[in-house]
Amino acid sequence: MAARPDNEPFLSARGVARRYGSHEALAPTDLDVRAGETLALVGPNGAGKSTLLAILAGALEPTAGRVERASAAPRVGWVPQRPAQYGRLTARENLELFARLEGVQDVPGTVERLLALVDLVGPNRPAASLSTGNQQRLNIALSLLADPEVLLLDEPTAALDPGQRRRLWSLVDVVRERGGAVVFATQNLDEVEHHADAVAVLQAGRLVFLGPFAEYERSPAAEIFA
Amino acid sequence: MRAVRLLLAKDLRTLSRAPALVVALVLYPLLIALLVGLVARFAADRPRVGFVDQDRIPESLVVGGQSFDVNGVIEQVETEVDLVRMSEDEAADALRTGDTVATIIVPRGFVSRLRSLIRRPELVLRITRGGLAGRVERQTEALVYNLNRRLQDAYIDANLEYLRLIREGGRGTFLGNDFEIVGLEGAQRILAELEGRAKDPVARAEVEELQTFVREALLALDQSGETLRATANPITLRLDDEGRRGWLLSAQVQAYALALTIALLCILVAAAGIAAERDENVLGRLTRGLVGLGELVAEKIALVALVAVGLGLVLALGLGAAIELAGSTSFASWARVPFLAAGLAVAGAAFGAFGVLLGTLARETRAAALVAILVALPVVLLGLLPEVAVAPAAWVSTAFPFAHAVRLFESTLYDADPWATIGREVAWLAGLTAVFGGAARLGMRRLLA
Repeated sequence: MAARPDNEPFLSARGVARRYGSHEALAPTDLDVRAGETLALVGPNGAGKSTLLAILAGALEPTAGRVERASAAPRVGWVPQRPAQYGRLTARENLELFARLEGVQDVPGTVERLLALVDLVGPNRPAASLSTGNQQRLNIALSLLADPEVLLLDEPTAALDPGQRRRLWSLVDVVRERGGAVVFATQNLDEVEHHADAVAVLQAGRLVFLGPFAEYERSPAAEIFA
Repeated sequence: MRAVRLLLAKDLRTLSRAPALVVALVLYPLLIALLVGLVARFAADRPRVGFVDQDRIPESLVVGGQSFDVNGVIEQVETEVDLVRMSEDEAADALRTGDTVATIIVPRGFVSRLRSLIRRPELVLRITRGGLAGRVERQTEALVYNLNRRLQDAYIDANLEYLRLIREGGRGTFLGNDFEIVGLEGAQRILAELEGRAKDPVARAEVEELQTFVREALLALDQSGETLRATANPITLRLDDEGRRGWLLSAQVQAYALALTIALLCILVAAAGIAAERDENVLGRLTRGLVGLGELVAEKIALVALVAVGLGLVLALGLGAAIELAGSTSFASWARVPFLAAGLAVAGAAFGAFGVLLGTLARETRAAALVAILVALPVVLLGLLPEVAVAPAAWVSTAFPFAHAVRLFESTLYDADPWATIGREVAWLAGLTAVFGGAARLGMRRLLA
């Protein structure tokens, strides 16, 4: 893991906002992603959770504000809500392609390790023909190619069976225990309760609460999600 | 560059896994190329022309003692135009409403003037302005030329008949008057008899002088037939049937077929290809530092250039083989194939940049494919219009790659000294690639939104 000055956030959102024409998907928002932290993004549908995650991941440009990265730029893995992979390539070919694009040294070894890690069924079938759950496993495996220090997950468990959910959270724990950071968007209060250190609540594109889980439980923002 | 290479390999692999799509992508533009060729060849080829026969031309007309079919000659023009017989009023209406592009009128007295051999008969051509008018005018001129040529033969034969009468003597008719003459040969016989009977030396000398004149006149008349025909038609056109290509194999049609096929294919593949990246939701994953937006545009342009080279060479070599198999001539451009491959790449890149721009504007694969076809067809058809016929179309098509690609391929394949044209058109295509590619790079932000 790259050396960083003490307590320097991996990622800092500074007034990031996103508009689609006249619609404000995300109002100016400030947020830090720090080492060893698991932050849950909660809020109703259309609250701006996916937009904020995509901006943090660098996949979407904010219309205002900026995302600052730590001086030793962290490796970031991103699991978008909808699987992002080439449907006509097999799962294995998708992993090989993105591994090469990421500059992974041992491409075959890394691909085999990740296929085993997510226990993907049918790695040699075109990705489009995989079940929704297996597409999500591939989606997660792709985010792990760069051995990320920051893992950004957008409702990652929505299509997973209970066994796969447990496997995913153990992966998240590994990233955090190695000094990394995890930000996940969810609609599942149990996941927040069991896996999050901190909670950010978004409502209609605005960040209405940001703090430790214990504070969240006592705050009026918890009512939004209740 | 490495990212471009990896994505290029991915796209080629993806294409190879959709053989039905590849076949459709290749066959569709070829079919369009063939249909456009057929339409261009036949549809506007026979414009409707009104034909008004005020003189009721008989089926057979005797001129100078020769019988020939004036109607038949006039109707020969029907190989070029659709000749529609109508009354003068109907013809005027049809010309005014645009139902016909011209009217040919045979005025009253036409046949009697023909028979008279004295006054020249006239055909009247009424024509609209612009469009096909010039062409109909040229075809009508050709019709008059054909009529004149046939009449000329009749007139010459009639004149030769008069010369035969002058030589041999006999009965004839001129301007409706019958006559009988002794002829030069008869005069020669009479003069020989007179010479024997003449006692007076002066009279004998005059008879001998007349005999000399008659002999020389006969010698001169012996040459008159060929001389008359030679002065009537100083130059004749002989149609050499050997070594001709059919229109399908002509240089221009080959260049059009190549350009049209790769234009449609490249614009479609580029537009759908870039939009597919968004549909598969991978754009965000790619542009998080793995691949730049400019690299993505460059990759699609490179993909389309490769497709253009592959398909274009197959098509060009197929046409070349067809020319060789036709046997009448040889495809003289085999040595130019490497230059053609380079030209196909340059043209393919320009079409690709244009297609990527359309794809960024349409955003979704299906919409991009539809937009590509909707935009590509008029661009191609504009480029097919002859510059001399519709100048504004030529100006507009200058801003698109099609017309430049046609000139590049035509020059590369068949010009004896093609380098100036190749240099100019390659510069145009490279410039258009830069302009459309730059615009596409800006348009990529729409795909990310």
